[in-house]
Amino acid sequence: MSWRRTATILLLLMPGLGLILIMIGSVFYVAVMQSFGYFNLVGEDVFSLEHWRKVLDSKAFNRAFQYSAYIATVSAIGSVALAYPIAIWLRRPFRGSLVVSALLKAPLFVPGLVAAFLFINIVAYHGILNQLFIWLGFIDEPIRMQNDRGAWGVVFLQLWKNMPFALLLLSGAVQGISDEVLDAARDLGAGAWDRFRKVIAPLSVSAMQAALIIIFIGAAGDFAFQVTAGPTNVQSMSQLMVFLKDSFGRWNQAAVVGVCLMGLALGGSLTLALISRLLLRGGRW
Amino acid sequence: MVSLTDNAPATQQPRPRRRQKGSGLNRVLMGILLVICTIWLIVPFGMAILWSLVDPDTGWNYPDVLPPSLSLARWVEVWTTTALPDALRNSYLLAPTVAIITLILATPTAYCFARYDFPGKGLAQVATLLPLVVPGFVLAIFFSSLIFNLGIYSRFLSILIAHCVLFLPYAIRIMTVAFENVQQDLIDAARDLGASPWARIRVAFLPALAPGILASLIIVFIQSIEEFAIAFIVGAPNFVTIPSILYSYLGYNFVRPNAAVVSLVLVVPNVLLMLGLERLLKSANPAQAGVKG
Repeated sequence: MSWRRTATILLLLMPGLGLILIMIGSVFYVAVMQSFGYFNLVGEDVFSLEHWRKVLDSKAFNRAFQYSAYIATVSAIGSVALAYPIAIWLRRPFRGSLVVSALLKAPLFVPGLVAAFLFINIVAYHGILNQLFIWLGFIDEPIRMQNDRGAWGVVFLQLWKNMPFALLLLSGAVQGISDEVLDAARDLGAGAWDRFRKVIAPLSVSAMQAALIIIFIGAAGDFAFQVTAGPTNVQSMSQLMVFLKDSFGRWNQAAVVGVCLMGLALGGSLTLALISRLLLRGGRW
Repeated sequence: MVSLTDNAPATQQPRPRRRQKGSGLNRVLMGILLVICTIWLIVPFGMAILWSLVDPDTGWNYPDVLPPSLSLARWVEVWTTTALPDALRNSYLLAPTVAIITLILATPTAYCFARYDFPGKGLAQVATLLPLVVPGFVLAIFFSSLIFNLGIYSRFLSILIAHCVLFLPYAIRIMTVAFENVQQDLIDAARDLGASPWARIRVAFLPALAPGILASLIIVFIQSIEEFAIAFIVGAPNFVTIPSILYSYLGYNFVRPNAAVVSLVLVVPNVLLMLGLERLLKSANPAQAGVKG
């Protein structure tokens, strides 16, 4: 490549990719440095492992880490598991299939906070669900479902918001599998489960991995659902980070949580992607 | 998000229709699905609309199934007594600015991805997705730390910069596809006929790029209006946007009817824009617009 062409390409990449790299790079740098005692807004910059020790020793952090890891894993696997059968069902167009897929994808365009608000309206103590249950005679008096301790509300919201996203990615991949391949599998005696396990899933594994990664990262970093509909006895990683920053300005400790959250997002999502690849393709790339 | 669909249905080849097996089953499944969708969408939004119309004088209390009387009083109250007008002005000033600047920043990179081959191009394209994989609140908190350290105190400018970077991946992806649709034949023909560079852009590039430009503007606009983490962390406490007002009604001072009003103010314009975008993307189907020459 001539130097002129190289210069042209670099110049073209500068405002888009260049800006992204500079900005994300500096945010990452600030978070890491702040966790070791630099970039303080007040006081002197001193290298210290104290912030890491304090955070890693705290019970609140360990619970938050486990909780966010749990929510992210369940949301990612659950969304993909729900989206697969629907994607396969909608693989071939039929009357009304466009309407169905548009309705199913609608939650993609509802902001998280609005989704959380709609949800707590439904499950409130005197909300429509409790009234329905009482009317049907399932229960005698309303049950407390809002901010439940098992975090079912948060998981439901994550699935509501993320299943359509998984569906969007998987539909494309599943529609790309030709009828001939599936017919051949059927002729060779493969049942519905075998066709899924041995043909459809391995051929759509890349889309599945993309869905798992993006949903895991989003759910691990969740704030809106947790604050409005989540259990009150545990914090998510984002919530803990905001809490540390806002209470007495513990920026350095917030930075430790932030770095750990990035680690969780990266490590967890890649692990899920790797496991799905190993399970479906037996390690073949 | 929509950018991800471009490789999906459009590549479908029309197949000879054969009789659908299990169309009866499909009808049953459709029925079940419509019921689920009612619960999925209509009931939640219906509740929000009802709550926003509850008459403050009579309220809506257990065990009334529907509010005893409806009024627009809440809408008037939220509009006149809260910071909603401020939030609307901020959000609707910020979002178009973000949309235009993001488009301008994304275009050269997208042009490069679509029309140049170079070593490491795949890696560069993956790297543009970075803003999407960093958890939102990590980005928000340490971006705010960064701008404090740099001594930038304009909230508007700070949120503007962060939003542009955060939504660049969408604009780059959409514009890359748009540039791939520009036909080389047309550019060559225009050049052969002696068209000036500007005329070449007008006749060969703009018609193919127009749907992509509009799609990018709309997607980034919607994303910017809805974005919460950065607007909340960087904007707090003085610069309010629609999502941060909504958050304030969902937190410690939970005011259900006000939250219902703000939710609808946030969602309804975006749904209308989204429907417009859907039509736009249909008209810009690459299968109809012709393939790259």
